[in-house]
Amino acid sequence: MRDLITVASFTIKDMVKRKSFIISNIIIILIIVLLFNIPNLLKLLDNGEESSNSKLLIVDSENIFEGNLEAINQMDLSYDAKISNEELSFDEIKEKISNNEIDAALVITPKDGKISMEYIVENLTYLDEIPENIVNAISTIYTNMQISKLNLTEEELNSMSPKFEFNLKQTEEEKVEGNVAVMMLLSMALFFAIYYCAYQVSTSITVEKTSKIIETLVTSTSPRSIVLGKTIGIGLVGLIQIFVYIIIALICKEVFLEPGALDSIINFNNVTPFLISMTLVYFLLGYAAYALLYALTGSTVSKPEDVQSANGPVAILVIIGFYLAYFTMMNPTSNLNIIASILPISSPFCMPLRIMMGIAETKDIILSIGVLLITIIIVAKVSIRIYSNAILNYGSKIGMKEIFRMYKNKNG
Amino acid sequence: MGLVVQNVKKSYGDKTVVDGISFEMNHPGVFGLLGTNGAGKTTTIRMILGILKKDSGEINWNGKKVERKNVNFGYLPEERGIYPKIKIIDQLTYFAKLKGMKEAPAKEEIKKWAEKLKVSDYLEMTAEKLSKGNQQKIQFIASILHSPELIILDEPFSGLDPVNTELLKNVIIELVKEGKYIIMSSHQMSSIEEFCTEVLILNKGKTVLQGNLNDIKSKYPANRISVIADRNIDNIIKDLGLEIYIEKDNNYEIKIQSEEDGYKLFKILSNQDVKVTKFEIKKPSLNDIFIEKVGE
Repeated sequence: MRDLITVASFTIKDMVKRKSFIISNIIIILIIVLLFNIPNLLKLLDNGEESSNSKLLIVDSENIFEGNLEAINQMDLSYDAKISNEELSFDEIKEKISNNEIDAALVITPKDGKISMEYIVENLTYLDEIPENIVNAISTIYTNMQISKLNLTEEELNSMSPKFEFNLKQTEEEKVEGNVAVMMLLSMALFFAIYYCAYQVSTSITVEKTSKIIETLVTSTSPRSIVLGKTIGIGLVGLIQIFVYIIIALICKEVFLEPGALDSIINFNNVTPFLISMTLVYFLLGYAAYALLYALTGSTVSKPEDVQSANGPVAILVIIGFYLAYFTMMNPTSNLNIIASILPISSPFCMPLRIMMGIAETKDIILSIGVLLITIIIVAKVSIRIYSNAILNYGSKIGMKEIFRMYKNKNG
Repeated sequence: MGLVVQNVKKSYGDKTVVDGISFEMNHPGVFGLLGTNGAGKTTTIRMILGILKKDSGEINWNGKKVERKNVNFGYLPEERGIYPKIKIIDQLTYFAKLKGMKEAPAKEEIKKWAEKLKVSDYLEMTAEKLSKGNQQKIQFIASILHSPELIILDEPFSGLDPVNTELLKNVIIELVKEGKYIIMSSHQMSSIEEFCTEVLILNKGKTVLQGNLNDIKSKYPANRISVIADRNIDNIIKDLGLEIYIEKDNNYEIKIQSEEDGYKLFKILSNQDVKVTKFEIKKPSLNDIFIEKVGE
């Protein structure tokens, strides 16, 4: 136990003193601060110009709309509309667009008993029809103009625009709470946190092999203390990093965002202490399972250039686990999502989100954690044994056959 | 008591790398494990320390298996290694703590040994900034700073310059005086001869010679004379039927068949008034014995 603490604390000190660690954390913190400042930055940019709205010129040379088109500017369409009753040729409009006087023009003319609308922009790369909001706005203005000519009573007018009440209902009994996009973002954050931290274990072990220190190390303590100590040390650093990021994010939310700015994205009532503790539990368990797998692959190489190819199979496993959780999240009540929340390769990315959505059953959580713990114990045993037997391999990368032989060798 | 290695074997597939080695180390001192490259020295050491599993045989220290819990040992591996980007003081403290020392006494010991081995100035530096020789001295400190009773040094002098070799030799002599059991492997006989009381010479995994170094040497008759004369004595030597081995500025190494040849030469030189400043009848060196045994 004493050796385990010694290895873990040495690993922590080594990690936090590294320049790469300090720089990457500064960058991540800056990104968090920047993300929370996006609304403020947009405001700053808006102040530089009168308006960020597109400039639209509506040409009604025949005055079909009888001066009612000005109402379009009260409709909050993100357009600054300017109405013209002068007849303008295509070339004149083209010149206005190229001079940046306007971004687009809508030319209204009568044609064969119909009203023709021609929308002119610089190019049609991102446009295959007239923007729907303009069409709807013009149609509404025209309809209102015609209705007003009918001299209807207030009652008749009210009956034409009844007050609707729209509601959503589902046939399934399970109620899913929260925003799926936010869930997926959290799933991705968990994936990167687990992957990044677990990968460090592999790198740390390979460094000891490449620098040939391993022989001194294994005569100073047991392979078990080395593998588990490293895993614990790097895991704690990862956990502290996550805490720091969360605290910085919360401070940024209070300092830089207006109150309630995130309410439409995250329902903070759903972020319970249980959810937070379970997310941390799954982060740690998921990290431990993958870190120990990486310890295994890290001990099979002795040259830095072999690390990536040796870690390939584990990377594939993490990605499969992540995508299994990620894609089944689109249908969180499906059986596949339940399976993903129990399978040890995907449960760390899936179960915290099911808990957040309020659809995780207690028995499933217990089963999922149990499966993950058993997996960790098995992976730890195999990894420590392979590590013990692969210590003196200073040659090329060890293949699967050799790994299997090493596992059978009880030297470790 | 002490270290007992009994009929230890190790094979990789069909190739036997250590074939039934046995030796005992009953008293403090330096035991020389000698052999050419690939003779099986490092494999034997790794089996003693339990890094490698032996196929058969027994290895015990004071009647117990050689394990961390039973033996306080120190090991300088042949494969030199050190954390490149970590401060020397931090990594030495780390190893001392793994060996059961507390931080404060560990730092005291590190300072003491760093002064002895003249590396005090490097303690706050990262290892990658040190020369290979200094890195080797740091690793040597890591193997002895916890005051082990059994010290295993695998090729301790390889890669060291003469000044550092001398420095390390003095420390080893000091450790012997303190009553440590030291196993030292080497293929450089001259560097080990002055310490070893017992030796074992390995060739292709098999023991070709073993025992007390003086006893071994006494079994080999004198085979050389070393002479420094005031003039050329080539003719005198040739008249006696002896072969000149080396000659430079009237310094001679002469091959002899027996000590009698030496006495004869000395008598003639006296009779002919040759002024002799050195005359030594020499027994074969460990190097000579090694080459004879391993070169067979």
